[in-house]
Amino acid sequence: MKLITAVVKPFKLDEVKVAVREVGVTGMTVGQVRGFGRTGGHIEIYRGKEYEFDFIDKIQIEIAVTDEQVEAVLDAIVNAARTDTVGDGKVWVTDVERVVRIRTNERGPEAV
Amino acid sequence: MLFAVTNIPYPSWLNPADNTWQLVAATLVGLMSLPGLAVLYGGLVRKKWIVNTMLMVFAGFSITLVVWMLWGYNMAFGPISHFGATGSFWSGFVGHFTPLATASSEQGQAVSGANSLIPFHFPTATLAYFQFVFAAITPLLFLGGLVGRLKFKAWLLIVPLWVTLIYCVNACLLWGGGFFAQKGAVDYSGGYVIHLSAGVAAFTGAAILGPRRWQDRENAFPSNLMMVAVGAGILWLGWNGFNGGDPFYAGADAASAVLNTNVATAVGVLTWLLMDMFFSKQKKPTFLGAINGMLCGLVAITPSAGWVNGTGAIFVGLIAASIVWVAWNYLSRIRPFSKVDDALGVVYTHGIAGLVGGLLVGILADPKMTEYGVAGAHFKGAGGFSVAGWFYGHSFHQLWEQFLAALWIIGYTAVGTAAIFYLVKFILGGLRESDETLAIGDLAIHEEEAFPEPTFGEPVLSPSHSHSDNV
Repeated sequence: MKLITAVVKPFKLDEVKVAVREVGVTGMTVGQVRGFGRTGGHIEIYRGKEYEFDFIDKIQIEIAVTDEQVEAVLDAIVNAARTDTVGDGKVWVTDVERVVRIRTNERGPEAV
Repeated sequence: MLFAVTNIPYPSWLNPADNTWQLVAATLVGLMSLPGLAVLYGGLVRKKWIVNTMLMVFAGFSITLVVWMLWGYNMAFGPISHFGATGSFWSGFVGHFTPLATASSEQGQAVSGANSLIPFHFPTATLAYFQFVFAAITPLLFLGGLVGRLKFKAWLLIVPLWVTLIYCVNACLLWGGGFFAQKGAVDYSGGYVIHLSAGVAAFTGAAILGPRRWQDRENAFPSNLMMVAVGAGILWLGWNGFNGGDPFYAGADAASAVLNTNVATAVGVLTWLLMDMFFSKQKKPTFLGAINGMLCGLVAITPSAGWVNGTGAIFVGLIAASIVWVAWNYLSRIRPFSKVDDALGVVYTHGIAGLVGGLLVGILADPKMTEYGVAGAHFKGAGGFSVAGWFYGHSFHQLWEQFLAALWIIGYTAVGTAAIFYLVKFILGGLRESDETLAIGDLAIHEEEAFPEPTFGEPVLSPSHSHSDNV
């Protein structure tokens, strides 16, 4: 079992959701996060004064998958989230030791 | 006729139209403070300072009304105490320290040195409330220079002292029939008494109080631009009462004051907007810039609203917004302006705009703009009243009187505000909240925040829940 974590541009969330559903993903957890990467920050002007904002709004998506699903889900996320510009985000995969479905107490891949 | 004249339930000197307009105008001006300034300032400060700022606005408004009833109104607009020989400065300095508390003092016909030309057609309660909302907004304006570090207790002492010792004196001198009024200086609705004075007080107070934490200055981005829009809109339209109420009659001059106020303001907005687009470093039209331009127009037309014609009003908006734009962007880099943390820039949009507007009366006032146009047996004075600026009267007399009054307002407000701030500092052992408190803001001072968020699940059990009476 693996945990796929993706940090993407906020307006790409809906496309990512549709794409991963198509490859059989049944659930995801999302959160609003802020961060910086190679894009750098941006400038805002209030009352003539410039403020530099280093952190940019992003959406972090977490999807637990079985080992067989990993490549298909990665492709789906990358294809959906890509705009070919700096700041499209990152996806990474980590090992998941155990998963439990709380309602049924199922363990392992069945619980994913 | 269903009703005989004798059945009208108010005295013959009372004119219901004048009384209605005066009460409506006063309410419009009151709305400029609550919620106008509360949400405008709340929107301009950092999120962590919203509650503190709004509470200071509501508390200041309340304190001023109590002061006004107990002694303020009579000091500013009651019969003048003649401390010196007739015609001397001290014979026209301030009124009596007496309350406005009896039935007759509320319901009797308004009488005031503010208008010795023709009698008021409404009771003293109307005039007192109308004048109160002006007195109340003045400390709330200079609050803009002090937000983000002023101790709450200090504010509760500064407001009554400042209204009593600074506002009432300046109001009496220029409006209450005092020295400068007798000399011929004019201030239609408070370009000097309110805005120039508030700008000077903000600057002086901020200098004594010291700057905000550097973190708060560096990250001074506003909390909510939509709230700024709400507050600014209420200010603009509320100004119809501010300037439209100051002839004290629902007549032609009230109408022209309203129209002139709006056109000067519109020109102020556009002037700042265009200067931002073509002369600013970023070359961007900004909403908060436009709001600054709006304030410049509103403030600068205030001393002349019913005494300039439409062309004059356009020039007032243009000149004031241009000068304040340059001051905002360049003068602010020069000492002492660069050294004083006037948090919301009150010294520019109120101080400098008020000064420019007050001097422009001496240049642009059109003698054909008649404030009081009826003469006759029923009226106390000669009747007609208008003001002639240099442009129409070909004399610098009015400009000179305006200049002298401005010098007084700047000097007296600066010295008096400094004295009050040092006194309050001495009484409380300091004017600032502690550094630990300043780092947190609203929650540390009030145990409240502007956007309370019990983030996950149910709120935790509060201490009052576990109290035996509540179980």
